[in-house]
Amino acid sequence: MRLTRLNNIRMFILAAILLLLTSAAPVFSQSDTLADTENCLLCHRYPNMGRYDESGKKRVYFVNAQNYARSVHGKIKCKNCHIGLDRIPHTDVNKVDCATKCHIKEPSTHQEFSHANMIQKFEASVHGRGTPENPKPFPEDLPTCKDCHDNRMYNPFDGQWGLNEALFNETLARCIGCHTKEKWAQNFYSHFTHRMRQRRAPEEVVKLCTRCHEDVNKMTRHGLESIETFKDTFHWVEIKYGVKNAPDCISCHVPLGYSTHDIRPRSDPISPINAENRVQTCSNQGGVQVCHPSAKAKFATGRVHAYGTKAQMLIGRQVKGLEDLDIDRVMQRAETDISPQEIFRFKVLQLIKLFYKIMIGGTIMFMSLHQWLDFLRAKRKQKNRS
Amino acid sequence: MANNELALDDKTGVPSEAVAAERYFVRLNKSERVQHMIFAVCFFVLVATGFMLKLPESFLTFFGEAGEMLFRYRRLLHRTAGTVMILVGLYHVYYLLLKPAGRRWLVDMLPRFKDLKDMRDNLLYYFNIKKEPPEFDRFCYKHKIEYGALIAGTTIMSVTGIILWTQYEWSKFVVDIAALVHGMEAILASLAIMIWHFYEIHFRPHKSPLDNLWITGVISEDEMKEEYLLHYKKIMNDPELQKIFIKGSSGEK
Repeated sequence: MRLTRLNNIRMFILAAILLLLTSAAPVFSQSDTLADTENCLLCHRYPNMGRYDESGKKRVYFVNAQNYARSVHGKIKCKNCHIGLDRIPHTDVNKVDCATKCHIKEPSTHQEFSHANMIQKFEASVHGRGTPENPKPFPEDLPTCKDCHDNRMYNPFDGQWGLNEALFNETLARCIGCHTKEKWAQNFYSHFTHRMRQRRAPEEVVKLCTRCHEDVNKMTRHGLESIETFKDTFHWVEIKYGVKNAPDCISCHVPLGYSTHDIRPRSDPISPINAENRVQTCSNQGGVQVCHPSAKAKFATGRVHAYGTKAQMLIGRQVKGLEDLDIDRVMQRAETDISPQEIFRFKVLQLIKLFYKIMIGGTIMFMSLHQWLDFLRAKRKQKNRS
Repeated sequence: MANNELALDDKTGVPSEAVAAERYFVRLNKSERVQHMIFAVCFFVLVATGFMLKLPESFLTFFGEAGEMLFRYRRLLHRTAGTVMILVGLYHVYYLLLKPAGRRWLVDMLPRFKDLKDMRDNLLYYFNIKKEPPEFDRFCYKHKIEYGALIAGTTIMSVTGIILWTQYEWSKFVVDIAALVHGMEAILASLAIMIWHFYEIHFRPHKSPLDNLWITGVISEDEMKEEYLLHYKKIMNDPELQKIFIKGSSGEK
């Protein structure tokens, strides 16, 4: 907490003194692997560097040079993304914009590289902020690049085929035969193989998506329902058991041929869960994941997640957790999203459930009572005999 | 299998010289015992592998890396046991309709008005209003309820199980119904077996800790008189029935 009282200037004076007292040699040896020509690590290599900001949030300004060099952005200079920062202390901080052109030439077009095209797609998707004329409500709820993308490490490719680091060593050795600059070859190899691996285990994907999609308040604000009913499906059971082939959110909402950045509503013809595209999505022909190769149209139509809040609201049932929330938007969406046929199906399933609940309760009560009476009688008889 | 059966019989069932005078009454013949054993094993495998789906997440981290393999064997075992159970069920139908012992079983198992009266009288006996229990025939109302539940349960589980297995042939709605019914019926069947059947064979004071009827197939004359007095009287008055139901009187075991 003492840190909160230190202002930036005092922090940097302290850092400068520390720097003078220590040898600069390790800085150069570390930054050697980095494109740190701006010498940001002069200060940012100190693990204790950070502060509590005005809202009391802990901010860490330390950069682990080795880890950064091995990350997907390892070749990019700090100031390519962190625009500004010409003054020390940095009072001219701009938020990082992933659409910035970062002075790396994209080799297929020889244009300056940028994530702008991905961001464009993303903004048009369900997760985008809408257009200036038609902005979405509560933009602060919507995900940003960094919500899903942490600056990941390039690790040796250990593949889907159970291969280990040896694969990396052998392949790299072959690359270096022609591409003599080892560092370059390693980066290229890593860049390439990074796309070949499943980056998140199914359980991690579900965790990532449910961070927002199970937040009832947030979802209700946007007219959506919490997707916890996914956890009633067989798909989730497979994930629970750690089956590698198990279907997570991405498997159905972004199958082969689609982009995570371009998730569209169900009604959109280019959505994989649109009725027209369901057979391809369920069968996943040509994809790495083996799903339901024999899926037919009638199997692929219908609900995958169990019926949730919206269906319950439509049949006029009070939904737990929504009492204090404004549910108009959800109700509106429910009416357009869920057809009368689906409501009928939901009712049938509810009825079966109710029938079995009564049946189980009744049967078990009768049986327990009957057997208990039998037991008492038998005991009494034994006693009488002895 | 046959040898094992005989060995077990020798060990537990056949009276030694000293008690040769004591008579044993056949409750389950050999075919019925074998059917029961296979069915029971399948039942336990199905319950275990089926309810594995309902294990909480926190518990599954315990399996770690082995989870995936476990999941694969779970499915294989569940389907194998299910298939065997269906086959035993079909054999049982064949047995009921085409074998003399099976037909006798079917006739004795049919519900009758007497069962309702028996149930009333037995409950009155439990409450100590009547001093003597009703006289039961070969199968009393408890058996008939349980047998009926078994037939219904096995049919429902088999049909829904086959639908789930062949899910591509059905619409998602049918699969959803099958999945729901399969799960609910499983809870009902497991609880019923635990409360109704396990009580009969494990917890009734004179059966504890385990009734060995399922292996030997016979009960003593005393027990016969006490539990199935009407059937006992019928047997004693009919030499034909004696051949069937008194152990050692004829070829039937």
